[in-house]
This record gives sequence, C-alpha cells and structure tokens, in this order.
Amino acid sequence: MFVIKNIQNSKKFTPLVVSTRNGHRMRGKAPAIARNLTQRLEEEFQVDKEIEHQVNIGFPALRISRSDKLKERLAHIKAQRKNPDLEKKSRSGQLFIDLQQVEQDSQNTTAPHNLRLIAEHYGIFRDLFKDAYFVPRISMDIKYQVEDIEVPVYNGNIIQPSEAKSAPLVNFNGTVDPVTSKMNNETSYWTLLATNPDCHLGGGEQEYLHWFVSNIPNGNIAQGETIASYIQPFPAKGLGYQRVVFILYKQNSKIDFSNLKLDNENTGEERLFSTRNFYKQFQDEITPAGLSFFQSAWDKTLTELYHNVLNMKEPTFAYNHPSPYRADQQWFPLKKPFNLYMDKYRDEKQIGKEFLEKKLAKTNPFDGPEAPLRYPNAHYYEKNTPSWLQFELKKERLGLGRMSKYVD
Amino acid sequence: MSLSSQIRRKVLQTTKNLSSTDVTTVNRNPRNLELLQFSYKPSGYHLEKPGRCFWNKLQLNVSGRYVKAAIQHYKSDVVVKADTSEWAIRKQLFRTTDRTAFVNLARVFAHRCHAAGISEMYCDVQGAEGSKVEAFLKTLEENGIVLSEPERIKPDGL
Repeated sequence: MFVIKNIQNSKKFTPLVVSTRNGHRMRGKAPAIARNLTQRLEEEFQVDKEIEHQVNIGFPALRISRSDKLKERLAHIKAQRKNPDLEKKSRSGQLFIDLQQVEQDSQNTTAPHNLRLIAEHYGIFRDLFKDAYFVPRISMDIKYQVEDIEVPVYNGNIIQPSEAKSAPLVNFNGTVDPVTSKMNNETSYWTLLATNPDCHLGGGEQEYLHWFVSNIPNGNIAQGETIASYIQPFPAKGLGYQRVVFILYKQNSKIDFSNLKLDNENTGEERLFSTRNFYKQFQDEITPAGLSFFQSAWDKTLTELYHNVLNMKEPTFAYNHPSPYRADQQWFPLKKPFNLYMDKYRDEKQIGKEFLEKKLAKTNPFDGPEAPLRYPNAHYYEKNTPSWLQFELKKERLGLGRMSKYVD
Repeated sequence: MSLSSQIRRKVLQTTKNLSSTDVTTVNRNPRNLELLQFSYKPSGYHLEKPGRCFWNKLQLNVSGRYVKAAIQHYKSDVVVKADTSEWAIRKQLFRTTDRTAFVNLARVFAHRCHAAGISEMYCDVQGAEGSKVEAFLKTLEENGIVLSEPERIKPDGL
C-alpha cells in the first residue's frame, strides 16, 4: 500500500513514499538461498564415499603411447578421406559399416568400460562382490545353440529358459595375456562360473550355481574340469527376470577345486554359492577377466523341469505392491472431509463388511435384490440431510465409489 | 538399499523344500520391476515442460564434429552409449556428421541397446522431415527399437 503525501505549499514536489506490505509472508527460504528438490534429494540420499568405496580387482589397462596411436589413426583417416569409393558410398547413403568389425574393434577401446557401466546398472558387482568391481578385459563369445538358431549372451539381453536348456558354446581367446594382449608361451588356465544372484527362494543373499568349469587350458572349454555341470536357469513363476552371470577368471596356475565338486547335482541347496566367498578364498590365484550376463523369466517349459528334475512343486509368486503412503492420523484434521478422512484410517475389511451388509439388507432371500431405481437422482432427500450425507446417498443410488464393488 | 527399491514377493504355493507356507522373497535384480512395468516412474514437475517421465530416455547430442547417442536412466545416468568419435565406428566412416554417420550410428546403437536388454525407451528427440535426425530415429525403429515406453502398472487405489 502506498501512501503519497503531496505537500502542495512547497515549491518543490517532494513526495513522501511509505511502503507497507500487508498479508504477505515469505514461505520458506529466499530463492537464492533455498535449494531445489534435486539438491535436497541428493543430500538426503548421499553416499559416504569412504564406506561405499569400491576396489578394482581386475586387470589393469595397458597404456599405449598416445602419439603412436594417434599417428596410426590419422594415417588411416587420411587414407579414408582419399578413398573415392568410400566417399561415393557415403554421399549416396550406401555405406553400411560392418557391425561385427565395430564390436571387435571396440573390444580394444571402449567396450570394456561400457560393459562395466551396464554391469553396474544391473547391480552385478554389488550383488556378487559387494565392494569390488573389475573392468572385463577379455571378451567372451557365449552362444546357446537352439536347433539351428544361435542365441548369443551379451550383457543383459533376455533369453528364455527354453533356449538355455543345454550348456552354451563359450569361446574366448585364452592364449593371450589380458593386459598386454600378447601371446602366452606357457599354457594359461581359466575358470568359468555361471551364477544367478536372484534365485534364492528363501530370500537369502546367496547365489545359485549354474555352471562351474575350472582349469580350462588356453580357452578350450571342452578340456576343462567340470566342478558343477550345467543346469538351465529356472526362474519361478511371477518372480520376474533373473540375471545369470558368466564370469571368467584367469588362474595363475592349475588349481585343485575338487573339494568344491558337487555330489548330488540336482538338489537345490548344494548349489547355493557365494562368489564373494569364493573369490575371497582364491583371490591370490585368480583374477576376474571376463563378464557376460543375460536375463531370464519363467516360461511354460519349466513346469516339467520342476516336477521331473528338481522334484518339487512349482513355486508361484505374486507381486506385493508397496502400500501407498499414509500420513499419521491427526487429532484435529482441519479442512478435511471428516467421513473420508476417518475412513482412511479404518480397517478396509470392516468398511467392506458394512457395505456388504447394507447390500444384503436390501436383498430378499427369495425375491433377490430390490429393483434398481429408474431415476436415481430424482429422489427426495429427507429434511435436514447434511450435504456430505446427500453426496453419500447419491453415490449409493448411482452405484459409484466404494458401492460399485457391491452393485450387481 | 531402500525398501521401496526392493522387490517383495509372496509365495502363494509352498514348495517342498521350504518349511514355511508363506514366504516372502526378494528378486534383487534392480531392473526387474522396470521390465515388469511395476517400478516407480518419475512423473516430472508440474510447472516444467514434459521430459522427465521415463525409465530410459534416448539422448542425441549433435555437435559440429561428432554425433553422440546415449540412453539415460532416471537414476543411474548414462547406461548405454555410442558416438561417432569412437575409433571403432569412426574408422569405417567417411565423415562423422553426415547422414551416413547418423544411420550407421543408429545401427550400432540399436545393437548395443538390444545387447543391454533395453529395447524400449522414451524419446523426445524430433527430427524435421528429411533431416539426419529423422533418418537416425527411423533406422533405430527399423532395427527393432521402440521409441516409447509402456505405462507403469499401478496398484489398486493409486
């Protein structure tokens, strides 16, 4: 509100301005000081970097001279730019690059880091190693053979259990050193493990062991020592998508894993496994070098497996939605419709029972329910009926709201 | 791990090996709920322009020299990426920003998305008719990427 006082008598015009603010109150902090929602959420879910610190347990990357690499690349680009065929193709939109070649080339550059990124997104390191990670330096070529079709395992793609019935074909270059990429003179030994961190029906943190082959000489899986034979993934019905993770370890030498060998291979509990404990035990002798994983959900073919191979009833699950947020009940809820507010804190079953009783009271056991009103909105409300009750009656007559569940 | 991010499931039928008849188990796969469409999806802010309501979102960054494509996840930032500055891609290209580069980037990116188990994503990138961006989006769709995300399945009463 402005009050302007004009002193007409004086020669100069000197307005006296008095400003006042009425009915306005600053809500919260000033815009420059207050933080926005993103900042506040960030602060609330802050992670302590010292506690959450992750250790790299994999092989380091070899640093190649940058100038050498650049020289080589520049020469290649120069040659490309002088290639008239390539230019013609590129300009006419006929140039389609070789995707397999891209995959192969990126293996030496960006692919290991991208794989680590996506593995972290899928919580692979968190659930298998807890506070360790590695950059997968060795690329594995894993393929399931389904009749004539090959189903490859990448990093998170979805594969049906029916496609993963028998052990996949695994290929990797086991003759080279993961760091220097140079040929080994001696035989190198590898271990391949396939585990599933989401399979524990009791809700524990242990994984399920699907496959364990150790002492693989120079990447030849067939000559490896099978500690646990392959068993296909069998996600329970309704439990959703499970991860099956293949991890390749490089051994420093031949290791005797015979004490881990499974006796009865089909029982569930024998196959409970902990990658973290396994790695802890052998960490001086093995180093993770390769990673690949897929996701799998229940399908029809699993019923037979549960009944005949695993000898158990097929478990079925259903998703339990988290209950919606409900604030604590107030003694004096202001500006709230009292009937709806009170209903919010009552037992759902009791409310349902009351509605059902109301319906049954109007139902004759011999003649059935009363005939529906022809013009439900054209009926008289008794005198002095409060508006909230009128609204409730209206909903009841129209069969809306909660009443809709009990209308025939 | 907060409780809301965990998956709670209830046994309807009991198994032979389990002693209790009513078991709750947790699928620890952090992407499971998104695949089942049960996961929370941010709904954005009331006064902001739309563009926050997604699990995975396509990002296309076109600069003077290179083109970058990435999937942004609402929680964990960039998940899958491909760009023409990568040596593996650039090696085979004539130029890194022409139409061919856009089309080939889309092919590589689509392959990587499928490999990462993400074939549906929210997309607010729009290309003018006949533009390179349109060619990029078209190639993605031709390679089996769906440029929209399914709705979240909400529990009763929400």
